[in-house]
Amino acid sequence: MFDNLIARAIVPVTIAVTGFVIFGCILLYSFIKDDMTAEAVRHVDGLAETVVRATHYAMMEDDRDSLSNILANVNRLAEVERIRIYDQLSQPKFSDLEGVTTPGSFAVRVDEWSKGIVSGSGQDRIETLHQVDHEYGFIAVNMPILNEPKCSTAACHFHAEDEPILGFLSLGFSSAHLEKTLALLKTRMIAFSLMVLFLTVVGVAALLRINLFLPILRLTHEMEQAVNGAAETDLPKANRKLGKLGRDFRLLVKQRDESLLSKDATRAARGSDDRPEQADSRRTSAGHEPPATTGSGEN
Amino acid sequence: MSPLQQQVQAKIKRFELLSGSGLWVLALFTALSIGASRNFDFLPPLSAGIRNLLGVGPPVNYINWALVVYGFSALILVLAQMANNKKPRGALAHFGYLGAFYLFYHFSDGLQENFWAIFVVGLTILGLQSYHVWNYYHEKIHEQKEILEELNKLAG
Repeated sequence: MFDNLIARAIVPVTIAVTGFVIFGCILLYSFIKDDMTAEAVRHVDGLAETVVRATHYAMMEDDRDSLSNILANVNRLAEVERIRIYDQLSQPKFSDLEGVTTPGSFAVRVDEWSKGIVSGSGQDRIETLHQVDHEYGFIAVNMPILNEPKCSTAACHFHAEDEPILGFLSLGFSSAHLEKTLALLKTRMIAFSLMVLFLTVVGVAALLRINLFLPILRLTHEMEQAVNGAAETDLPKANRKLGKLGRDFRLLVKQRDESLLSKDATRAARGSDDRPEQADSRRTSAGHEPPATTGSGEN
Repeated sequence: MSPLQQQVQAKIKRFELLSGSGLWVLALFTALSIGASRNFDFLPPLSAGIRNLLGVGPPVNYINWALVVYGFSALILVLAQMANNKKPRGALAHFGYLGAFYLFYHFSDGLQENFWAIFVVGLTILGLQSYHVWNYYHEKIHEQKEILEELNKLAG
């Protein structure tokens, strides 16, 4: 019964708290991951925009050496693993380390993704598109280089005026730092959840034990003593935690004691009433007079 | 055996059957979750017509918030049922809601990322519900067994 009571009190609390904490942590992690990824994508967008603006003058002047130098310099950034400019025919015109990719590099994936967009004919070609791959740890951005009125008078003039897109900038950015931060966040959240779970379950169990189970256990012990014949005064000092239940139990034991006492007194009184009659009859038979007073019979 | 005793025995059998109903729903949800973990790839893809009819799925962020509100409310409801020792109800409805969340995430392309969130919240809600069902009907069985004992004494 007692074990059952503990189980009934603790099991629902444990299930509800454990489930909700894990669920909350998973969703919180998901929200934080989305926010951090969006921030990283904004950062990569900013870098791509910077590259496009930095190469703008070189493109207008058809200065291919400057263009290659700018791209090579940007590629020296530790997090940039692929930077390419594609023409309208989806051919890479300017590229870092053309054809060379380190093993395990995500550059091939970035190229595949970019070529898919560049060689397509969908409306999304005129938009800046992103690819976030947490598994391979990269963020890729494909930014269209749009035609401008000035282009028709530029030194490199070989585009038709009605062509909306002149080329594409493809940038592959390593998200290793982001993944590392997310992994750290995940570990910390797991540790925090475990602490919350432990404290909640142990705290609830301890509070229940102190305020409910131990007083009930004590009352059960008192009941056993009372059943075995202990008087109310012999029972351990009253515990106030169970309130009316404890008071009423002691009142019951007290009433039982009183009724037992009164029963004993009645018996004793009857016994003392019977004894003088017996003595009288004995004296009468022996020829003696009855005494004037009788004893209490309780000694 | 008197008709009254037979009636009580029939009740005990019914309660024994009902006490396992929570676990059945939990098993159903686990089966559904296995399907969801595979992104329902065993089902035939929806035709373009039906997809157009359904329209674009809601943003994943909205579904996340809906799931938070649902999970919190459902847990409070089940705990309130337990606290008041009310007859357990709504296990199948919870299964339906959780299935709907799987579908919404599936159509919004957010199922892979949010699978564990639905699975954990579903397991928690249905686990609590099945614990309540089991507890509630076991109490009822205990009551009926006491009645049956009294009837046996009277008959014997």
